[in-house]
Amino acid sequence: MAKPFTPVVFAGNDLLDGDSVYLAETGWTRDVRGAAVAMTVEERDALSARAIADANIVVGPYEVQVALEADGAWPLKRREQIKASGETTIAVGPKAAIARAA
Amino acid sequence: MYRYDEFDHQFVQERVTEFRGQVARRLTGELNEDEFKPLRLMNGLYLQLHAYMLRVSIPYGTLASRQMRMLAEIAERWDRGYGHFTTRQNIQFNWPKLRDIPEILDALASVEMHAIQTSGNCIRNVTSDPLAGVAPDEIEDPRITAEVLRQWSSLHPEFTFLGRKFKVAVTGSETDRAAVAVHDIGLQIVRNAEGEVGFRVLVGGGQGRSPFVAKELRAFLPREDLLPYLTAALRVYNLHGRRDNKFKARIKILVHELGIEAYRDEVEAEFAAMDRATVAAPWEEWERIGAYFALPDLPSRAEEDAGFERALRTDPDFAAWVAQNTHAHRVTGYRAATVSLKPVGGVPGDATAEQMRVLADLAEAHSADEMRVTHEQNIVLPHVALGDLYTVFRALAGIGLDAPNRGLITDIIACPGLDYCALATARSIPVAQAISNRFASTERQAEIGPLAIKISGCINACGHHHVAHIGILGIDKAGVESYQLTLGGEPADVPSIGERTGPGFGFDEVPGAIETIVDRYLELRESPRETFLQAYRRLGMAPFKEALYEAA
Amino acid sequence: MRLLDRTGEIAERWTFVEGDDPVPNDLAPDGTVTDGPVSDGAVILPHARLGEALLLAAERPGKTGLHLENDVDPRPLVEHFGALSLISVAFPSFADGRGFSIGRRLRDLGYEGRLRATGPVIADQFAYLLECGFDEVWLPAAVAERQPVESWLAQLSKVNLSYQRGQGATGQGERRRSILDRRRQAGGAQTGGAQASP
Repeated sequence: MAKPFTPVVFAGNDLLDGDSVYLAETGWTRDVRGAAVAMTVEERDALSARAIADANIVVGPYEVQVALEADGAWPLKRREQIKASGETTIAVGPKAAIARAA
Repeated sequence: MYRYDEFDHQFVQERVTEFRGQVARRLTGELNEDEFKPLRLMNGLYLQLHAYMLRVSIPYGTLASRQMRMLAEIAERWDRGYGHFTTRQNIQFNWPKLRDIPEILDALASVEMHAIQTSGNCIRNVTSDPLAGVAPDEIEDPRITAEVLRQWSSLHPEFTFLGRKFKVAVTGSETDRAAVAVHDIGLQIVRNAEGEVGFRVLVGGGQGRSPFVAKELRAFLPREDLLPYLTAALRVYNLHGRRDNKFKARIKILVHELGIEAYRDEVEAEFAAMDRATVAAPWEEWERIGAYFALPDLPSRAEEDAGFERALRTDPDFAAWVAQNTHAHRVTGYRAATVSLKPVGGVPGDATAEQMRVLADLAEAHSADEMRVTHEQNIVLPHVALGDLYTVFRALAGIGLDAPNRGLITDIIACPGLDYCALATARSIPVAQAISNRFASTERQAEIGPLAIKISGCINACGHHHVAHIGILGIDKAGVESYQLTLGGEPADVPSIGERTGPGFGFDEVPGAIETIVDRYLELRESPRETFLQAYRRLGMAPFKEALYEAA
Repeated sequence: MRLLDRTGEIAERWTFVEGDDPVPNDLAPDGTVTDGPVSDGAVILPHARLGEALLLAAERPGKTGLHLENDVDPRPLVEHFGALSLISVAFPSFADGRGFSIGRRLRDLGYEGRLRATGPVIADQFAYLLECGFDEVWLPAAVAERQPVESWLAQLSKVNLSYQRGQGATGQGERRRSILDRRRQAGGAQTGGAQASP
């Protein structure tokens, strides 16, 4: 029996801004929960083709395994969770400096 | 310090214009991402996990106040109000937009700075001793050589598409503070029997996946032969270095596989056949650049200062800071002071725009307008009069940068790790913070003495864990962060690569494991004068391994 | 494909003979030139066929070239430089910069014939190629389509100064002006510090 397919979304970075973006049903979104989810190999290949076709908008698209939660997709791996959060896991910059001083 | 002449200005300005055009051509698709990537990398621009990252070159770590203020302005205008000082004496901005990069490069050019060759498979920015020009044991200011090399290597037509990156470091003192033995080429300024100044040339050192201590290529190279000789060394590497495997493409692998003798024969043959006089920098160019590195005019001061002595007696925090963070200066009545960017629980190497501005003001008022970035990710104020030290210390306390921990267990080097880096396999910064909090007590740090902890979030070893007294390497083990420990690494003096203790530790277990190692050291050291590294070299791995894995 | 030099796109007069392919009829070693379609009788042979190339060159001077892969040491070719009117150096990828050193080495060894870079290099490397001694660039169609000739020529005036000396071919190449030479001409009038060391 074939291994069950783990759902995937396609992630990349916006060429002009560098932000993490995810392929949506139309265009790209900065919110992984709004990403188009492939549930089968065929759907994955179709998303992949769309992602690659946007090579002058989004850099380096690749697939990310996700779990389907109530409000949308969420990555399985820590690296991708950090990327999807759009932030570091620790306080940084002026806010962190103020917090330390307090 | 060095100042641009009209040619330097024109060169950097044209380079910015060129990059602006490259961005435009990328947007039209004339350049695809594969083609654009090495071009942007050669201008210091990475694409990381969350965003672009711009690495700005701070040649040999030397910064003037107006330059530091511009870095603060860039942090505020185009980033998130802070920057990260790196182990290669540079600064990184973690959140810029590609669309803004040409403007940022313009801003940098206005203060004689750039991001050229801070990345890419080319000759990277040349690093040096943060105490250059200050250290009493110096033969010659290594920044003269570093600046000659900075210029020579900029957009070198032959060496801009090498098999891999190429890092050069220069030291001018007996005491190596530039870690020359872990660079692709390390240069140590030496005098020969006739008293002439030249270079001892090392080759093939490096960290990464396969760490190597560099081997001696030439015991003495006359100054005038430097550029032709490096041209020969680079040419042999460019032609013969491996291109089949990215992880075997550094010169250390070529030297290792060929053997130092065979590599040297090739280089010497190339060097002998070369039109050396044409390739060399003319003598007057060495003199021209050398003049910029003359010691600044420091008003003469007495050997002792009453106010300084009083502050030492009345403020124990200041006394601890002076003892740990200041260094001898070749001019009477002066010290060099290390500003630690490692406050307890902080992000190693980070500075906010406000902190940068205060540092710039302090340098302007009390350090001949000069700062240095160290490869330990700290800042040095190189020329502070004894009588000014307390003022400086109080100002640093006001911005939370008064930690008296230079060289101690909380002076941790850490790469950005999985919080920022697209290549990382584990987080580094939170591990550094947890260790720093665990050893927060100043008294305890002082009792432990010199101990360098360095953390890398992947096998590429940007956090220099191989040459740490206690190194930490974060890897991904079936989706979970796991941290391997190494002991006994050292970048300078008698360089060595650390040895692994054994199986790794979980994210939360690391501070405890470090504590176990430290406690065993305190128990076994012959006296408080025996440092961790000395004790490790005497005792070997066994007692630490036992403490880590068997005592429980 | 496209062939260009510092003046822009130029006509191809050379026929590239690959692998073991026969030398076209119009170039028969007896010297007779028949009605070759593009070529005026000039051919580039692979390095493995050096001996054959030298025979051809003896009979048809000025019309023999040699193509080198970028792992070939050009030093043994010195004695044949006179016979080789063109040397082509392979750039299998723009990121594989071995060819720059091969070009430089050929010029340092005294090669004065035509030097060609063959492969998918990019416009942004044009000045470097000329400075390493190359005269011309042969581009495959995929790159030529995306990168107009204007981009290649514009590249030559992007950065007009260089910090190195002794770059540029033996007279043929467009070169950036050496800052070291310019400073020398300026006579050291712009030193910055108070006293000269070292």
